Amino acid sequence: MGHDENDGIQELDNPLPGWWLVTFYGTIIFAFFYWIHYTFTNAPDLQGELKLAMDELERVRKNSGGDAGGGGSGGALPAESEEQLAALFAPGDRADQGKVVFAAKCASCHGPEGAGLVGPNLTDKFWIHGKGTRKDILAVISGGVKDKGMPAWSEMLSKEELYSSAAFVFSIKGKNLPGKPPEGNEVP
Amino acid sequence: MTENNDLWESYDDDIVRKFIFACLLFGAIAFLAGLLAALQMAYWPFNSNLPWITFGRLRPLHTNAAIFAFAGNAIFAGIYHSTQRLLKTRMFSDVLSNIHFWGWQLIILSAAVTLPLGYSHGKEYAELEWPIDIAITVVWVVFAVNFFGTIAIRKQRHLYVALWFYIATIITVAVLHIFNSIELPVSFMKSYPVYAGIQDALVQWWYGHNAVAFFLTTPFLGLMYYYLPKAANRPIYSYRLSIVHFWALIFLYIWAGPHHLLYSSLPEWAQTLGMVFSVMLWAPSWGGMINGLLTLRGSWDLLRTDPIIKFLVAGITFYGMATFEGPLLSIKSVNALAHFTDWIIGHVHGGALGWNGLLTFAIIYYLVPKLWRTELYSKKLATTHFWFAIFGILIYYVSMTSAGITQGLMWRAVDQQGRLVYPDFVETVLRIVPLYWFRVLGGTLFIVGFAIMLYNLFMTLKRAPRPVPELIGDIPKSAELGTGHRKLEGLATVFSVLAFFAILVGSVIEILPTLNLDKYLNPTLTVKPYTPLELAGRDIYVREGCYYCHSQQIRPMVSEVLRYGPPSTVEESMYDHPFQWGSKRTGPDIARVGKKYPDLWHYRHMMDPRSVTPKSIMPNYPWLAEDNTDFLILRKKLSVMRVLGVPYSDEELANADILAEKQAQEIAQKLAADGAPGGLEKKEIVALISYLQALGQKGSPKNETLGSVPQL
Repeated sequence: MGHDENDGIQELDNPLPGWWLVTFYGTIIFAFFYWIHYTFTNAPDLQGELKLAMDELERVRKNSGGDAGGGGSGGALPAESEEQLAALFAPGDRADQGKVVFAAKCASCHGPEGAGLVGPNLTDKFWIHGKGTRKDILAVISGGVKDKGMPAWSEMLSKEELYSSAAFVFSIKGKNLPGKPPEGNEVP
Repeated sequence: MTENNDLWESYDDDIVRKFIFACLLFGAIAFLAGLLAALQMAYWPFNSNLPWITFGRLRPLHTNAAIFAFAGNAIFAGIYHSTQRLLKTRMFSDVLSNIHFWGWQLIILSAAVTLPLGYSHGKEYAELEWPIDIAITVVWVVFAVNFFGTIAIRKQRHLYVALWFYIATIITVAVLHIFNSIELPVSFMKSYPVYAGIQDALVQWWYGHNAVAFFLTTPFLGLMYYYLPKAANRPIYSYRLSIVHFWALIFLYIWAGPHHLLYSSLPEWAQTLGMVFSVMLWAPSWGGMINGLLTLRGSWDLLRTDPIIKFLVAGITFYGMATFEGPLLSIKSVNALAHFTDWIIGHVHGGALGWNGLLTFAIIYYLVPKLWRTELYSKKLATTHFWFAIFGILIYYVSMTSAGITQGLMWRAVDQQGRLVYPDFVETVLRIVPLYWFRVLGGTLFIVGFAIMLYNLFMTLKRAPRPVPELIGDIPKSAELGTGHRKLEGLATVFSVLAFFAILVGSVIEILPTLNLDKYLNPTLTVKPYTPLELAGRDIYVREGCYYCHSQQIRPMVSEVLRYGPPSTVEESMYDHPFQWGSKRTGPDIARVGKKYPDLWHYRHMMDPRSVTPKSIMPNYPWLAEDNTDFLILRKKLSVMRVLGVPYSDEELANADILAEKQAQEIAQKLAADGAPGGLEKKEIVALISYLQALGQKGSPKNETLGSVPQL
């Protein structure tokens, strides 16, 4: 104490608390070494750390094999022939499962019934990419059509979901629901 | 003559009373705007299809009202009241005091009109357009002249610690505001900042972070140093501590801005400095808290009986929490999770409602009975207010922190096959909507408490006598000032200059290197400027405040690369005056949204987001299909951009409007062919679509490390 008053306010002069000083010095020492490490040594920078993480992701994807859609392979699906796909699409509940996926992921652009909205009508006889075969449909769903705004769903759906949704789209082909006017080429 | 002498024998408390009224009035507006914004988040139809109150325009109204109107007027009330008493003199000039008061309120009113109309810089907490920026500068200088004039005519030679904080505040806010607001006008109420891309980002967050430091922290610490010992009638715990934490705080704070830009394309040395200086701020911040709380040693019984002490102690405790959380959030790995989420919203409201709000309430409960020479109408109601405020803040804080951590974890979740677990962004939003309702509850409780305060004050004033001026009274004989820091405390000019240098060091070291942007650009990457129509669309994007909910900055992390594409580069925003990286992702990042969806998708999405993304919480923007784009002003806009260094050719400049109309025609025809209504070519929606389709399409981020990453 002993300072002249400021509008009646007095000030004690207690020493700085020890734990407070330790905290303060501690953060300064940490800051110094952190700064040295990330500014002047060979510590990986953000791009370097990303590269390590992406390599790890690549490894995970390779090892997981199986269920990963076209993940990492740039949407090279499908490997099967049209006949093999016909057999894969055949089970009765396949298209029904696909309908659920379609409602969740596809309906916002292709309409709830697939009659087109932002994206084309999938129930008419006209096809923009390919001829509407099982293989074509699956390829477009997996790899997407970037220019037209169709995402590559192999990044977001499992193989199971990809095949089911393709089976559903194949099943509504030719229903000719009234919707978006035809686009692409007529496939008789 | 005698009247004049009388005046100089008393304090000017009229000005303090005025600032208190303004604080209460604008506090009400700030809180209600915040409540409406919270409701819009929980239930999008509260946007009401009205441009003026749609979230993107309401949010700046809420933040500006809370910071500059509510907290600002509280600061001025406290500073004008305490400074006169600490210096034992009336303010330097009553005229300047009144110019300051009315000028500030006019600025607030102009903000309240222009922000809903969409006049905005597109920079957070600095949205106000250039004529208002100039007005702010003028009024702040008036305040500074009045304050330093008062110091010059002071009767008490020694400057008490509260005044150190006021000095640092006034100097630094001036520096921050002026340098962040350097802009070239295009027209009345439209301008472009001179900075672009990483420069603009760095200057903006140097400003933005230090607006928190020097508008919401240092002045309130000064107020604490005056009103806490006054209200508790206790001596300050440690004079030594006040010296150390004051200088450490103002020196370190100014460096911390880049912690808002971690993992961005800002050069990494600046990011590292932002983080380490934030960590070092922990102890100096807590120095203020310790000096506050330990001042009450030996009189903790007051906490049970005196509502003012309750508000002060809780406010200081929230300050301690927020200043511990701040450094924590600045640590890169924590920031990686928390950034862009509601955790940050929780953090800032812990500070704003807890520290600034509660301290302001304490000061008003202390000042009103003093200034009106009466007793508070009801202590019990003040205590009720306290509990409403506390529970309101806690519910707000807990719900937003939970929402932020939940969403942050969902964004980054990658499954064992190496795919995002939640690829649909909207899924991560819907998960936290219930927490948005809890925030509404928290905010409502806080506001109910505030309403109780207004009633309490109204009843107090109703039975108060006519206020009479308080005489200055005897001036204590100043003792010898002594040596060292004690001597400095008597030398106002030297002290102010030293404070100025303390905040200048970090500013110069961080900002100067980035002013020469070329150094950070890869010469092999060329970026094309926006076409005239895209620029028009960009201005609409800024006007609607899209960046409050959508970032344009993809961080170098696996989950972000999977969701959005390669990380953003320095080059991609090099022509962005202002930068639009954003600080919050209520919706997904859109740095690479260009060409991802067809034009029709965007049209439908802007008219009704739910037509393409079921359950989206984004507002509708129907007016964009009704209002016309201003094509004629584009020549002027391009010429201003060229002055700022964007390489437009003479031909583009001369034909800006024609080029824009042509591009608009093409987009509108395609839209019509795809099934949108015809005749949109002159409408704003087409300009906005052209801008959105250009995002991420202007340069080629050749990134070798990402060669194998499949592009979405």
